Amino acid sequence: MSDKESHTDPGAEGVQEQPSPSPTESPTESPTESPTESPTESPTERPTERPTERPTERPTDAPGEMSSDVAPTRKTRRRPEHKAAAPSDVPNPPEEADTKTEQQKASSDTAVMEGGWGYWGSWGKSLLSTATATVATVGQGISQVIEKAETTLGIPSPEELSAQAPEEDSTEAGGTAEAEDEGDTAMGGALGMLSSLTSVMQSTGKTVITGGLDALEFIGKKTMDVIAEGDPGFKKTKGLMIRTSTLSQVLREAKEREEQQTGEEFSSDVEKKAHYGMLFDEFQGLAHLEALESLSRESEIKVRSVLTTMSGDELAQLKDDLAEIKEPFSLVEFDDDDDDTKEDDDGVDFAKELTHAMSRLCLSTTADKLSQARTNVHDRIADIKSSTATPAQEEDGTEEKARTQYTTEDVHSSAIRSLAELTAKSIEQFHKVAQVVLHSTSGSAEVSTMDQAKALAQITVLLCKEISFLSKSFTSCLTTVGSNEKGEILNPLITGVFLEASNSASYIQDALQLLMPVLELAHIQKTADSAQ
Amino acid sequence: MEAIWLYQFRLIVIGDSTVGKSCLIRRFTEGRFAQVSDPTVGVDFFSRLVEIEPGKRIKLQIWDTAGQERFRSITRAYYRNSVGGLLLFDITNRRSFQNVHEWLEEARSHVQPHSIVFLLVGHKCDLEAQRQVSRQEAEKLAVAYGMRYVETSARDAINVERAFTELTRDIFELVKRGDITIQEGWEGVKSGFVPNVVHSSEEVTKSDRRCLC
Repeated sequence: MSDKESHTDPGAEGVQEQPSPSPTESPTESPTESPTESPTESPTERPTERPTERPTERPTDAPGEMSSDVAPTRKTRRRPEHKAAAPSDVPNPPEEADTKTEQQKASSDTAVMEGGWGYWGSWGKSLLSTATATVATVGQGISQVIEKAETTLGIPSPEELSAQAPEEDSTEAGGTAEAEDEGDTAMGGALGMLSSLTSVMQSTGKTVITGGLDALEFIGKKTMDVIAEGDPGFKKTKGLMIRTSTLSQVLREAKEREEQQTGEEFSSDVEKKAHYGMLFDEFQGLAHLEALESLSRESEIKVRSVLTTMSGDELAQLKDDLAEIKEPFSLVEFDDDDDDTKEDDDGVDFAKELTHAMSRLCLSTTADKLSQARTNVHDRIADIKSSTATPAQEEDGTEEKARTQYTTEDVHSSAIRSLAELTAKSIEQFHKVAQVVLHSTSGSAEVSTMDQAKALAQITVLLCKEISFLSKSFTSCLTTVGSNEKGEILNPLITGVFLEASNSASYIQDALQLLMPVLELAHIQKTADSAQ
Repeated sequence: MEAIWLYQFRLIVIGDSTVGKSCLIRRFTEGRFAQVSDPTVGVDFFSRLVEIEPGKRIKLQIWDTAGQERFRSITRAYYRNSVGGLLLFDITNRRSFQNVHEWLEEARSHVQPHSIVFLLVGHKCDLEAQRQVSRQEAEKLAVAYGMRYVETSARDAINVERAFTELTRDIFELVKRGDITIQEGWEGVKSGFVPNVVHSSEEVTKSDRRCLC
């Protein structure tokens, strides 16, 4: 890791991301579906606004400010009660007192997240707390940073969390109360305060996935900032989130940095396997993403030019239609909460749901490659599980470890590879859809573009859930395989898996957004065809 | 070690529908023959490293295009950023041979201001009994357009390596001579990562000159 970039005052940067109340909330953003929500806390407000807050769509922003722009708006919109306290954190690296506030923030975000999207709650907790609480410890190695966070906060370590994950899933409905009982005394106060908010969200009956994913993205960025500060080598990952304007550029840079790095480590075989960016490229994710981006751009230009040539009723009608197409892209939601319990290992549901959603698209393209990639991943997990199962049953513990073929490094590599593969194939799938949508010669009349948009949103939910599930499976494998490892070895690996999982989910969602102009253009073409 | 290569070349593979473009590429990149395969949708991507001289590796990024007419507008967009191309026809399908210059015309009109080094590939040469295009006439056509000609079979793995390596070598020579240069905003050729020991390649420094014009 000799490519240390100079990074000016990372501590301040990290802190700046915390506060500053959300400036505006447009009243038009509030969807009407849940009357029970109080106006300021409405979780459904966020998704509608979401596309505009994406860093990738705001290339004009000063790069360094991007994440700090994004984060506070999210936070404050979720937790207005913190507004007053927040600005005091800004100027200096946090001292002891500030750490208290940080703790509250961390835990309150956790609570929101659990309500927002139970899946991510259990691990998001540790990541976010780690991230926010350790801004003070700039300059330390990553493991120390994480250690420090965990000890100061008294929260469970990532490994404990991942071990708990299965149980937490089933009790997630109980939400914050459960979490409290687990001994998170440091978080108790904040959770108490927030449980009311959580229950508001739960009582809506529908949980907004985008909210959860936003939080997830946020955690990813946050964690990376902290990790990057502790470990300059991680800047390559941090670079993902700031500075550049398109997703593919971002990923390309990551890949190139990793290649550079790998090139420097030419002789040593260490670390060569687990580079997400390189693997993502190896699975052709980058190429498909670039191609999708270019299709998306072209479509956007065409749509815009069509709009300028129209007027009157025709224009109004088209605008209505386009708004309807856009809707599923901003509001991706679960049908019901029982999704949690449906998750199972064999993957039948995933394949079935994926095929079903693909058939709703009515396009002559299948999801075979995607399903295959997903099967590969599950095979890997099954492999790891079966290899660890035997020693566990025999009671003589550590000596038996020689029989285990997998080391924690192996499991980690396998996890990163799996996430990269599934994400790459997801993006390939979206690219295929874009190509077929634009060039399906006939038969596309059977389905409306609006329904296609809904189906694509559904696929995105499915994929993100799958990514979440995989990250939990892999980390639970890591915990099993590494049961004799020290925390400072195991925890960074676990954190790394969660981090890339959160990135993967963001990439998939960003790719979904790229499909929007494509569908809009397809709709315009379709309308024009039927008019003739 | 996968990551070390001198250059990355982007190659495009074109030709009529069903001549076997995807099968050829998959034989080359995955080492196996896919008995059945769906028609390519739009464009697909593959990559592989090729060692053209001991220690000198080139990464090939291969763009597999759909032969179907309806995707033509998508695939057209990819000519510009390719440095080389394999133009396939099926030796058992005369029509696909007759379409060769249409393909070349299309490529030439969309590749400006760059140019593509093409290799003419007569595919499915294992099906000798059903041959409709003689080797002589294919060679004649290739010469007329200044291309090499190779006959390949993905099923029997005949000349697959050769087709790709020869094209890669030709491009590499042009790059070495400075006839093809790395340019900002062009994806055809990119420099790779050279391990410190081999850091002297003069081609890399050359690349800056052309960017200024």
